Amino acid sequence: MAAAASGGGAGDGDRADAQENVPTYEWEDKNTKAFHVAAFGRLWREKLDPALYCYQDTEEDAEHAQLARELELSEETMEELRVICSPDSLTGGDVRTDVVPHDSSLKTVRLRKRKQDYKDSLRRDFPAKQDVFASELENLAIGRRPMDPELLVPEGEIILTVNVLYPVIFEAFKFCRHHMTLQVMGSQKLSELRDAICCVSDLQVYGEFSSTPDMAPEFISKDLYKSAFFFFEGVFYDDMRYPECTAISKSTIEWAKSHDFPTYRSAKMEETTFNDLVVKIGYPYLYCHQGDCEHVVIITDIRLAHRDDCLDKNLYPLLIYKHRMLTRKCSVCNLYISRWLTTDDHLAPMDPCLFCDMCFRTLHYDKEGNKLGHFLAYPYVDPGAFN
Amino acid sequence: MDNYIQALKADFEELLGQFQRTDSVRYENFLPIWRNLDFPSLFYGKIVPNEMRIFCRLALATAYQYFLPPYTFQIRVGGLYLLYGLYHTQLASPKEKIRIALKDWEEVMKFQQDAANAQHYDVVYILRKLLSEKSFYFAAMPKQLNYQSKKKPLRNEVCEEFRERPQRVKDLISMDTLEEVMNVQQHYEKMKAAISATPGQLDSAINFIRKDLVSQLRSTMMEYHKLEEQQSRDTVPKSGDGDNAAGEGSSEQQECSQRAQLLASIKSKSYGHVLEASKSRRHRQVEMDTSGSGTDPSQLVLFRKKKRPLSLKARTKKNLIDKVGTLKQEATEFTGPGMMEENSKENSKKKRRFRW
Repeated sequence: MAAAASGGGAGDGDRADAQENVPTYEWEDKNTKAFHVAAFGRLWREKLDPALYCYQDTEEDAEHAQLARELELSEETMEELRVICSPDSLTGGDVRTDVVPHDSSLKTVRLRKRKQDYKDSLRRDFPAKQDVFASELENLAIGRRPMDPELLVPEGEIILTVNVLYPVIFEAFKFCRHHMTLQVMGSQKLSELRDAICCVSDLQVYGEFSSTPDMAPEFISKDLYKSAFFFFEGVFYDDMRYPECTAISKSTIEWAKSHDFPTYRSAKMEETTFNDLVVKIGYPYLYCHQGDCEHVVIITDIRLAHRDDCLDKNLYPLLIYKHRMLTRKCSVCNLYISRWLTTDDHLAPMDPCLFCDMCFRTLHYDKEGNKLGHFLAYPYVDPGAFN
Repeated sequence: MDNYIQALKADFEELLGQFQRTDSVRYENFLPIWRNLDFPSLFYGKIVPNEMRIFCRLALATAYQYFLPPYTFQIRVGGLYLLYGLYHTQLASPKEKIRIALKDWEEVMKFQQDAANAQHYDVVYILRKLLSEKSFYFAAMPKQLNYQSKKKPLRNEVCEEFRERPQRVKDLISMDTLEEVMNVQQHYEKMKAAISATPGQLDSAINFIRKDLVSQLRSTMMEYHKLEEQQSRDTVPKSGDGDNAAGEGSSEQQECSQRAQLLASIKSKSYGHVLEASKSRRHRQVEMDTSGSGTDPSQLVLFRKKKRPLSLKARTKKNLIDKVGTLKQEATEFTGPGMMEENSKENSKKKRRFRW
């Protein structure tokens, strides 16, 4: 698959190209066939009247006049149509919308009624935190427009929705796939998405710091090990922005070569935009950083930008959903999020044991900061620390 | 949220079924049905905003299917009105958009053209209104895909009553099925050759097969197709009288009896199964199917009741506990009260869980 096929391949194979880049299902409801993102966007823009995806409101009268001209209708017919087809007649009028009617003939409503009755029977009387959090996050960005018109997302820009799954480490993750969802623009570089993905393994601090606890939080892994790659459709996109970066996909590519696998190519993350990609929607790809922290990445949606989207360029990549994780609290105060993990500790109730910064210091050190007794202490970053 | 799909489908089909019975594509006729069924109440209830958003998305995506072929023109009009209604009554804010896929855009434009040609102005008006209100996302796919490979896919069943009739012939005999038939034919011939008295040659006593079955099928099909095209060309010019749209089936097909419909539905279902089988097994499956002539009900049952292997738990129970059932009984006697309690606990737990 020619991944970096030049976006503006005008001329010869254009028609054949067009057919290829109309996304169709490879597996029904699962994923599409691979297509070129920029070419897909171009196809839409070719087919649509720019008025359909611009951000301005279309004036109703102008629209009516045009429609009347096209259909050769008189003004009275147009007026009649407007009255008959008005959306006002669709709604139910002034009813309380938070009450599910109990005698409805609609199956959906009956199902919702049953579900809601069940929910009411539960002891808790507040919406799940996960939901509240998700709605808040969604509302943050909806319809945001920048002050500076320069920063407006251009009309007809492609917006991709990307799900980044957490690597499966915990038992609890076995059954539901927790993820965060980000929106990126087609013109953005892959490296911008990389910077927007936050993962605890970027923040880990390696080493044992029981004798010098103040030194610890200074070196996080993100600064130490900067290499990372995305893998889309047989191409590894390596992050090579810094001199310390190494192409960590190299060993995989060589291994694949020596084992009769289809050959993989590599490219640079910071030189590739999403428009350049050839991808399948709904197909699991990979983001790997810190050597072995592997996230499955799924592009769930590609579409043209809409008036109601967040239109501030600076806010992309935009986080639109993030799973809220339980935090592990300090085993002393059970109040603050843990920051230290100790092993071989005589003062701790179990081994290993988690402490917040405050409790850790007061328990393990005297006033002068001398270590009390023998123990090993490691900095701990809680996965829920980003909530 | 996906649990609502079946219920939503049933509701939409109820609405569209009633709309079909009116034998019209007028919006005035749609509106009373919409109100009678109290469709705006679809969105009522105590729902957190993001859940509402997901539900609206789901409702629109489900309704979107009725706006596309293989449904008849009338159902597609109903589908459009349904989308219009759902879009305007939804309680999410800002309003959730209708996702329209690139591959379907041509169909939508053709639909608009058909409606305009047949002078169904309300249809065109509503479609244009939705477009100018920016109620569409111009997306790659009609829904977001996130590769839920483990989840059992909901079979996307096309409601047979709404289906455009001429389409059935096309569906039944596609290139794929022709190829299948050819394969089966060849296989059959070979089998016959193998059992005949003179090996390698067909025995004249059992030589009853049509040699040119496939090509004949094809030509019949082409003929039918041509006829159909001609008819539709004939109906276009006289569509000025309103209710005879270009996309609608002609009167001849309405003679299709109930039985034929039933047959078609059964056949399409059984073909669906065949196509799903893996390539290596496909051949054998087809063989089975054709030998039963496809309409044998017992055959169908066979297909449907494909048994899954028992789960590990069930197998363990079967192999171990049933064999030493007496032992187990003794054990229950021994720890009788405790076990009872556990059982009742489990029961109460089950009761608490919501069952879709």
